[in-house]
Amino acid sequence: MKIKTFLFTFILFLLFFYSGILLISSMTLINNLESSKDRSLREHYFIATSYAKDLNALENRDVSIDSGVESLYRSYFNFYSKQKVILTISKENKRLYANLTEESYNLPEISENIKVSERLVSIEKLEDKDYVRVVGTLPAPYDSYTLAYYYNVSDVISSWYKMTVTLFLIGMLICGLLAVCLLFVLNRVFKPLQLISSTSKSIANGQYGNRIEVKGDDELAEMAQSFNHMAEEIQSQMQQLAIAAEQKQQFVDNLAHELRTPLTSIYGYAEYIQKIVRTEEDRIFATNYIMSECRRLQNISVLLLEMATLRTSESERKKIEMSELIRDVEQSLSMKAKEKQIEISYEHHFNTLFCDADLMHILLVNLIDNALKASSSGGLITLNAYIENEHKVIVVQDNGKGMSKEHLNHITEAFYRVDSSRSRSAGGAGLGLTLCKQIAVNHHAELSFSSEIGKGTTAKLTFTS
Amino acid sequence: MATILIVEDEIPINELIKRNLQSVGHRCISAFDGMEAIDELAQQKIDLVLLDIMLPEIDGYEVFQQIHGTPTIFLTARSSLSDKVKGLTLGADDYLVKPFDMLELLARVEALLRRTNKETRNFKLDGVEVDFKSRQVFLHKNLVECTPREFDLLEVLVNNRNIALSRDKLLELAWGYDYIGDTRTVDVHIQKLRKKLKLESRIKTVYKMGYRLEV
Repeated sequence: MKIKTFLFTFILFLLFFYSGILLISSMTLINNLESSKDRSLREHYFIATSYAKDLNALENRDVSIDSGVESLYRSYFNFYSKQKVILTISKENKRLYANLTEESYNLPEISENIKVSERLVSIEKLEDKDYVRVVGTLPAPYDSYTLAYYYNVSDVISSWYKMTVTLFLIGMLICGLLAVCLLFVLNRVFKPLQLISSTSKSIANGQYGNRIEVKGDDELAEMAQSFNHMAEEIQSQMQQLAIAAEQKQQFVDNLAHELRTPLTSIYGYAEYIQKIVRTEEDRIFATNYIMSECRRLQNISVLLLEMATLRTSESERKKIEMSELIRDVEQSLSMKAKEKQIEISYEHHFNTLFCDADLMHILLVNLIDNALKASSSGGLITLNAYIENEHKVIVVQDNGKGMSKEHLNHITEAFYRVDSSRSRSAGGAGLGLTLCKQIAVNHHAELSFSSEIGKGTTAKLTFTS
Repeated sequence: MATILIVEDEIPINELIKRNLQSVGHRCISAFDGMEAIDELAQQKIDLVLLDIMLPEIDGYEVFQQIHGTPTIFLTARSSLSDKVKGLTLGADDYLVKPFDMLELLARVEALLRRTNKETRNFKLDGVEVDFKSRQVFLHKNLVECTPREFDLLEVLVNNRNIALSRDKLLELAWGYDYIGDTRTVDVHIQKLRKKLKLESRIKTVYKMGYRLEV
């Protein structure tokens, strides 16, 4: 682009500049020649008139016309030859007295028949010199004689030529200077563009952190700014994508492990039955394991499916009575709580909640179920629903064993387990809190956890809409 | 008979390995996490450890560094090369990637025990005594003449006792991978062994499966 602009500008400049020079020099030449022609015409007229007068005077003194013409010619010729003028006189198309002159000129014949009082002006070339020629007859009664006037214009032409060459030389110098200046200016103009192109190349190569330095506040600076903004957006998008991809990969890895373990036991126990088992007791033992592992796989697939539907569809939300919601949750957990000898207290300070009753039930049961798993007998779990900063909040708190910050950051990830062997033996699929999080997102609610080892864990659900 | 410690946090898999090893006559102790494993190792003499790498609290590598000296086979679901290399450079004797075949596990355990000379090399059953070192078989103290192939087959049956082995598996284990022959060969050799050693009631035909030496 830069080279193109340079070439175009330069060629256009050359074209106009040189055609200007050419125009001016040719105008000068034409002007000069015209003035030379005028001057020659006047001279010719003056010479012819005085020639005729002198001839007339000689005739009155009884000098024959021929000898009069000759002597006059000699004196005229001598006089004018000093002024770069050659005079010839001819009669009936024959040149007279060519031998009188010291220098003999090889002058062209005047072929045309010249009429009286008519003068022909032309430019002739004699021995590498240019002459303006004026041909005309002498005034009557000597109109049988033709006087030719040659005026040397070589000087005019050669000075024109010199001037033209000088102009061209100066022009070339100016062109050179112009080229340098043009390159300099173009470089300055194109530098930001080059910067942008090199930066975008490096960004395309994966160096998303590269930016353009913004100088000034012209259009280019504005462009650089918007370019930088674009680069920033791309960078953050790429980071988000990378994080999402990593999470997905983590999920797939975990899922693979999660599937492999029950499959290993199922295959192993089937093999055990086929090859080793001999007693009914052993057979029942092995089939029990096969069935429980199958149930585990089933649990995983059900939860995954539920999460998939949650992701793709909007839940059906209605105004739900809190007392009703809490009663249902209480019903499904009371047995388990009694078994573990843990007390659960329920409290609510607002009457209705805009939610999907089934999903909210799953969420709360899951949270309390986790609290039950973390608590030992004699523990206390509280569910408290209240309004904080004009937002409805539900808090599930236990006084169980709690967990470290490191675990806290990961508990909503699929298949993450704080204590793998124990939760697995309790039949968990490692997806409970992942599902809770999904439900919370679906309800435009925020689910957060805080915990202290030995003191218990608090799960807080804040409804923002 | 060897004492084997199984360190595996998945209860079903731990139980499965235990039952399989017990059926071929080993004594098994189960541990479900790293701490338990270290405690067990301190309490009694253990001939071989089957160690899962992904364990709660203390991982398999750390456990391994504290039990130096006991032959160890790593068990893990991870199959990446770096994990294998790490396990082996730490000095593990062998490596098994889950999910594994039970027969493969038994074969590796058997091989490792033989390498470390922890296995008593004599097997006795109903007056039959097999001496693996000298490759001799006695019936009521009388030497029984066996072809090398018959002895190989007997060894496979003894090492995988109580496990039903298909004819193909028997061919593979006793004759080798490259043997090209009919599974009938297996039947013929089994008949010969039964007759020579009076093991008709011990070497059972398992319907649609193969044979099993029941102890």
